Amino acid sequence: MGFMLSLMTQERHLLTEEVDYIQAKGIEGEFGVLKGHAPFLTLLDVGEFLVRKGESVYSYFVAGGVVEVLQDRVTVLADTIERAEEIDGKRAEEARQNAIEALKQPVSSQSRLQYEQVLKREGIRLGIVAKRRSTRHPGRFGEE
Amino acid sequence: MPSLRSIRSRIRSVKNTRQITKAMEMVASAKMRKAQQRVLDTRPYAEKIYELMHRISAREKSWSSPFFEIRPVQTIGILLVSTDRGLCGAINSNLFRTLLRFMKERPGVRFEFVTIGRKGRDFVRRGGYNLTGVIQGVKDRGTIEEILPATQLVIEEFSEKKSWQEAWIFYTQFESIMSQKPRYEKLLPIAPEVLAGSGQNANAGEYLYEPDRRDILDVLIPRYFETVIFQRVLENFASEYSARMVAMKNATSNAKEVIYGLTLTYNKLRQANITKEISEISSGAEAISQG
Repeated sequence: MGFMLSLMTQERHLLTEEVDYIQAKGIEGEFGVLKGHAPFLTLLDVGEFLVRKGESVYSYFVAGGVVEVLQDRVTVLADTIERAEEIDGKRAEEARQNAIEALKQPVSSQSRLQYEQVLKREGIRLGIVAKRRSTRHPGRFGEE
Repeated sequence: MPSLRSIRSRIRSVKNTRQITKAMEMVASAKMRKAQQRVLDTRPYAEKIYELMHRISAREKSWSSPFFEIRPVQTIGILLVSTDRGLCGAINSNLFRTLLRFMKERPGVRFEFVTIGRKGRDFVRRGGYNLTGVIQGVKDRGTIEEILPATQLVIEEFSEKKSWQEAWIFYTQFESIMSQKPRYEKLLPIAPEVLAGSGQNANAGEYLYEPDRRDILDVLIPRYFETVIFQRVLENFASEYSARMVAMKNATSNAKEVIYGLTLTYNKLRQANITKEISEISSGAEAISQG
């Protein structure tokens, strides 16, 4: 038996379903949640969000927001969520290249920070896309 | 007895009206569909964050944040969400009636208003209440940014100036096309009593916070206000459009009835005139042939 997972952003409700396991990237590192986890509240970093239900594994790109873990349910209130299938690899690559170009010029420290964030975000997006392509069968993740 | 010509011109004018109301009905129904979709998309997040904030407040006894602090009430700040335009049935007047009842139940309390929507502003001005802020030009397809001034005002008045001890929001909730309900909710302070009804795990102990509960609150508080207020504004838009659609539909069918009645009178009158003329001619002819 699993627990209820709700995934949503301010503009969109993606999923409310019973799942077995989730793995997310919190601001202080990755964590996994199984049923019966202690009440827990954390902020999300930019990263991959994995959901396992039975044999299948679903991958999401998540950036920013809050996760609330209770005994029998987990609620993810994210700023951005995309299903792995929805990620536009081409667009992510373009955005990344633009940021790299921009960083070659001298820029103010504030916009440097912004570009670096873009770089990080798009890098993770691309990582998810690449992984999805390389792994034919889902259900192979966990103690990596 | 009205003349034929005056009836004809009335028919024409009612037909014009019908055309206008029909067009407004169609516009409202197109907008309503979009607004309804947005309401359904944004509702879960707003509900969850509302619950979450109150759950935090219920679990944390030793909290020292101004947003959770309950103070004796002297002034209540009210965020009044209404429509910009009329011709949308009774949703605004129902809302104002609810508001007046709310105020009557709290004698001796001062009320200050922040309005979103022109009708609410007019209501506050007409009643001579204290108008602290006016948010204008919020659009149905708008984004959260448009209501940020409202959230800033609420936070400022409540936690910085401390001039409000409570903040409430009044809006019309969208239930279905046929039904919209005036509703109000307490935004601040975030008090645990709201969850009392559904508190099966109210005593389940405190959360583990990572990194730190202050950091988490810094993220949550602005999102709480933005989403809850924004979602209520969207509810109000969906209510407005469905109320307008229904009102205009009724107006169109009324116009049809009026046209039907007028056409009937017109034809009767026309026939009576013809009959009268014929009988005049024939009696004239009779008189000549006899003479």
